[in-house]
Amino acid sequence: MSDWAPPTPHVTLPEPEPLGPAPMVEVAEVTKAFGDVVAVSDVSFRVGPGVTALLGPNGAGKSTLFRIMCGLTPPTQGTVRVLGQDAREDREVRGRIGLAPQQDALFDRLTARRFVEVAARTHAVADPAGATARALADVQLDPTETKPVGAYSKGMRQRVKLAAALVNDPDVLILDEPLTGLDPVQRNRMIRLFHDLGDRGKCLLVSSHVLDEVARLGSNVLVIAQGRLAATGDYRALRELMDDRPLRIRVAADRPRELAAALLGSALVDGVSVSANEMIADTSDVDRFGRHVAIVARDLGVRLREVEPTDDDLESVFRYLVERRR
Amino acid sequence: MSSVAPLPAVRLTYGLLLRQLVTRGRVLALLAVGVGVALVAWAVGAADDIDDPAEAAVAVIAGLGFTAVVPVVSLVFASAALGDAREDGTLVYLWLRPIDRWPVVVGAWLAALTVSMPLTIVPLTVAAGLSGGGRDLVVATAIATLVGVLAYTAVFTLLALLVKNPIVWGLGYVLIWEGIISGFAPSAANLAIAGYVRSIITGLTDIELELGDKPVAVGVIVPLVVAVAALVLASRRLHSMDVA
Repeated sequence: MSDWAPPTPHVTLPEPEPLGPAPMVEVAEVTKAFGDVVAVSDVSFRVGPGVTALLGPNGAGKSTLFRIMCGLTPPTQGTVRVLGQDAREDREVRGRIGLAPQQDALFDRLTARRFVEVAARTHAVADPAGATARALADVQLDPTETKPVGAYSKGMRQRVKLAAALVNDPDVLILDEPLTGLDPVQRNRMIRLFHDLGDRGKCLLVSSHVLDEVARLGSNVLVIAQGRLAATGDYRALRELMDDRPLRIRVAADRPRELAAALLGSALVDGVSVSANEMIADTSDVDRFGRHVAIVARDLGVRLREVEPTDDDLESVFRYLVERRR
Repeated sequence: MSSVAPLPAVRLTYGLLLRQLVTRGRVLALLAVGVGVALVAWAVGAADDIDDPAEAAVAVIAGLGFTAVVPVVSLVFASAALGDAREDGTLVYLWLRPIDRWPVVVGAWLAALTVSMPLTIVPLTVAAGLSGGGRDLVVATAIATLVGVLAYTAVFTLLALLVKNPIVWGLGYVLIWEGIISGFAPSAANLAIAGYVRSIITGLTDIELELGDKPVAVGVIVPLVVAVAALVLASRRLHSMDVA
């Protein structure tokens, strides 16, 4: 592996888009601070029709960004335009946005039909009963159910939120973790629905912290980590970048220094650090490392006690992407 | 896509929030408070060892009714109307709509008023009747309760959009500002709704009450002006605030 070189990623840092149709959602140098806490930092992007996935770990700033787009909270710096308007100021554009927020709270004493119908009426939908029936059918909820939504399961409540977001046939749909709580069949159905809406010219922004979900939502991905836009572009290239990043492995052994020296000499690792009872190895080829570390230890007579990755989680992936951006 | 006209928006908000406000626990607990005042008033009216029954009756109505029942009932429902929605995040379902802000505020206020008014005006006028204070006291109580609830519900609707614990702040206003501070400082009394409401009682019964030294017309008009101002401020606050 001495001639290994990292692949050239096809994931770009945010660039200004070329002139073309006006974007449906435009976020320009947006920063949001809550006191001393910076939740979103200098984020810029533009999206048009279709499904765009917002990927990031919990606490990355996805929900804050969605709230800013809907006008629920103003940015500390920067501007946001949805369909060319500021949703915080423009009453008409609020009628063209559908939001399924992350929080679970609903008006618990209403039935699903009544909840969605109130959403239709407060959006000035011309035929609230018809729109309600269609929205409930889209999410496979029974319009005749008399149980109030307060008695619903998490998955059913999620579908009520989605129905309320869809009922006004919005041009822009902002969906914060919309697949949470849904079973696999419902998940598939919702993803198909999102794609149908995107194909019809709607702009959907869908957030998730689950890579597999994002893979199925579509190819256009915005990665948010630590309040920053860490990467944007094609999902497949993003996945390659994530898979090729160096991993950190902790190896507990009785003679870690000897083992570290041997591993450095074999080019299985990019770097090592050693302490009394363990070593930490950075490797770009975790599979090869895993196959050979035991052989190297055996040849040296070193006893291995534990071998485990220390950063094999999404959080570290996102940190890596943020650090690359710097 | 069109927007919702103001009157339909008021109706929609009113209907939605009224349903959220009326819970068995709240209604029964606050009804019990009013019934308690009526029982005390009945006891006063039935007593035959009181030197000035009319003055005693007025003291019970003003002391219990307008210190406890009217402001507390108004506080519970008005702070919950938009306060609960703000607290649990459901306010977004009223905010992110093609609706002006003031119909939402007015709808919430009317919902609080709808529940607060019968839970105050009925037990207090019954109490006034049982207390032996005469017809003048019954009429004065009804008018003062009406004016008081209109003002308190508007102020507490605003309060719920300003602070995170409106019940605590509201009780502080009622018990400390109106109950204690206003008694020591005439200037503070000008900022106490209770003073204006008591003035209605004083003016219509000719029985003097602490803080009730304003003309009846002032006692009626100022709280109503305060109510309107509170609703205007609440609309502006709803426009500018962060929504969960």
